[in-house]
Amino acid sequence: MNEPKLRVSRGLAAMRLAARGGARYAVNAPRLFAAAGERRQQLRDDLALRTAQDVADTLGTMKGVLMKIGQLASYVDDGIAPPARRILGRLQDSVPPMSPELAAGVIEAELGARPERIFKEWDPLPIAAASIGQVHRAITADGQAVAVKVQYPGVAETMAADLGNVALIRSLLKMAVPSQDVTSLIEELRERIGEELDYVREAEHQRQFAAYFDGHPTARVPKIIDELSTARVMTSELADGARFAEMLSWSQEEKDLAAETIYRFTFRSLYGLLAFNGDPHPGNYLFEPGGRVTFLDFGLVKHFTPGELDPLVAMIEALCVRDDPEGFRRAMEEADFLQRDAPIPTEVVTAHMALFYDSVRERGPRTMTSEYSSAVARRYVDFKNPLAAYAKIPRPYVIVQRINLGLFAILGEMNATADWRGISEEIWPFSQAPPSTPMGEAELPWLAQTRSAAADIATGENSATAADMLPDGR
Amino acid sequence: MTAEVFPEAGLFQRGAAAFAASIPEHPDDDGFFGPGSVTWRVHADLSAPVSGLRSLLLQALHPLAMAGVDQHSQWRDDPGARFASTSAYVLTTTYGDRAAARAAAARVRKIHDWVTGTDSVTGKAYAASDPALLIWVHAAMVDSGLAAAAAYGTALTPAEQDQYVAEMTVAAELVGVPHARYADGGAPASVAELNAYLDAVRPSLTTSKSTADTAAYLLNPLDIEPELTDAFQVLAAAAVASLPDWARAMYGFGRGGPAPGSVPPERDEVRQVLGVLDAVYLGEPGVLEARQRLTLRMRAAEQAQQR
Repeated sequence: MNEPKLRVSRGLAAMRLAARGGARYAVNAPRLFAAAGERRQQLRDDLALRTAQDVADTLGTMKGVLMKIGQLASYVDDGIAPPARRILGRLQDSVPPMSPELAAGVIEAELGARPERIFKEWDPLPIAAASIGQVHRAITADGQAVAVKVQYPGVAETMAADLGNVALIRSLLKMAVPSQDVTSLIEELRERIGEELDYVREAEHQRQFAAYFDGHPTARVPKIIDELSTARVMTSELADGARFAEMLSWSQEEKDLAAETIYRFTFRSLYGLLAFNGDPHPGNYLFEPGGRVTFLDFGLVKHFTPGELDPLVAMIEALCVRDDPEGFRRAMEEADFLQRDAPIPTEVVTAHMALFYDSVRERGPRTMTSEYSSAVARRYVDFKNPLAAYAKIPRPYVIVQRINLGLFAILGEMNATADWRGISEEIWPFSQAPPSTPMGEAELPWLAQTRSAAADIATGENSATAADMLPDGR
Repeated sequence: MTAEVFPEAGLFQRGAAAFAASIPEHPDDDGFFGPGSVTWRVHADLSAPVSGLRSLLLQALHPLAMAGVDQHSQWRDDPGARFASTSAYVLTTTYGDRAAARAAAARVRKIHDWVTGTDSVTGKAYAASDPALLIWVHAAMVDSGLAAAAAYGTALTPAEQDQYVAEMTVAAELVGVPHARYADGGAPASVAELNAYLDAVRPSLTTSKSTADTAAYLLNPLDIEPELTDAFQVLAAAAVASLPDWARAMYGFGRGGPAPGSVPPERDEVRQVLGVLDAVYLGEPGVLEARQRLTLRMRAAEQAQQR
């Protein structure tokens, strides 16, 4: 590896050092941003980023990159080193929103005129923070309510420059996620940051998902407003609904429906679009009764080739349908999850991997719990397990592992019950079973309409293959 | 602020604790500089750690200053404590209210009264309260603030550089330098006076075993958190690279670091390491809040000026 700047190599375990002193302060550390109500708003205004220089000072010199490392690492809850988690959390706190002037300046630079001229109405105060930007509410000239995501000016250049210091990033990743393969992660990180900085690409993803789920009974993706979207500004329909925390207070029946939609959305897009929307973060959903869920934020989308998905499908089919341990093992080897000729009995392999498939091995209602999602996460990072010396997560699947754990965590938090196996059989390409739930029934017209489109997207042989990304197969 | 306030922590954590504790939550006044001053900006600049390191490297070249530290402080036993108390002192006199700054200065002056002796290298008698020595220490620090900001931080305009040097005469006076013009025995009050002073003092400077020990520690502190060692090397190289040529020559350093023939680190690389350290710093208790308190006051001052 050619790394001229290796001087910094193992440095920056900085993040680990705080472990010694940090935790005991956590409870009583006063935070200005934690101030209540108006005072908080006032503080945010007073500390707002007013110039591109403020942005560079706040997100440059590796801080923006560090924040993205934090986001990436947060998908492996058990894998991120606790002090790093604390530091990265504080870093998020340290980024105030743009001042109304600065945000208006970005709109003007990108769309050619001040926001008050572009939009019939423009709310100068952001309604949400995006990782490298913020979201404003507006009403278009023809009266449509929209959400406008505005990128911090100069942040793309700043982060691109910092990404050049590979040695430093390598050390940072080693500290943040000591249990993970740094070489794979670093590639993912660079790709993700590149993608996330480019709103054109994000809009393209969102368009793709919006088109695919158009007409779906419960899953909704806001449409992109093309003429108001650029590389640094992205405008989409304004979605409405309850936030995750509020939804958690709804009846279990409602929560189960919402969970079913999230599950169907995730695996329908995987098999139908060969794409995985990468960010199962509670902040990226809006909920309405009846299981209706709006999916936000397509900054982190992973596309697969049929060849990447085939072995995963084969694993599911072997373990969950045909009960064929040797076939399962062969599929694992084909996907490079497991070394060939590893001196481990096949029953040990299946015994270890079975946990990941627990929710889909048998028909009948099962409840996702936080205990289950934690157990799955722990097993991922358990390096003392018998397979550890011979198993790895190949590069195409790295991010997916994290995303999937995030999904487990979300469903676990919702305490969601469903016949996951039954739903999976509807979706698995090798079974494509008839509806197993009322929502499945309601999907039929949409499914008929999308099948042809899906066939267009995946034209290769085995186009319909794909399993979920876990070596667990849901 | 004494070392005992930050017991049993690494160098870095002690520095962070010193920072958080030195930025007052409810100051009685704006202190001796104020939120609109250049001094507030320079001392909060990203380059400050490099400036601090450079400043200590420079200060150690004066045999009498070195002897005073060597013979009277416990720095060899616990250099981290010395570092934390020094940085707390600078921060308190910069950002504290006048009462806090005066109290900190009074403590230092009281200690200085006891620091007298004979330097074994030059055979000369010294007293820490000697204005000549105080000016040396002061000038080395001010020069380092300017040099580090220019190389790795937010550079100052020539007018701002002069303003910084002029503002900082107050700090010199707090610790015992006469309130007088430079020509009459006061601290340098402009960049030109500062440079003239450094030229004039150079013949008095020398190296010795103490100097070498000090540099060895500063460039590779034993009590730094082990995880920070490599990052610190970039800062050490940056501090060396920003020294005046003559100071590097006295130490036998290379152009870009302690090793002869070393190449200076790039500005971006130094800033990236400083940024990561800063992020870690922000993760320490109270640091983000202290930083926000400063930002709020500086912005309010800026807005008042615009009106």
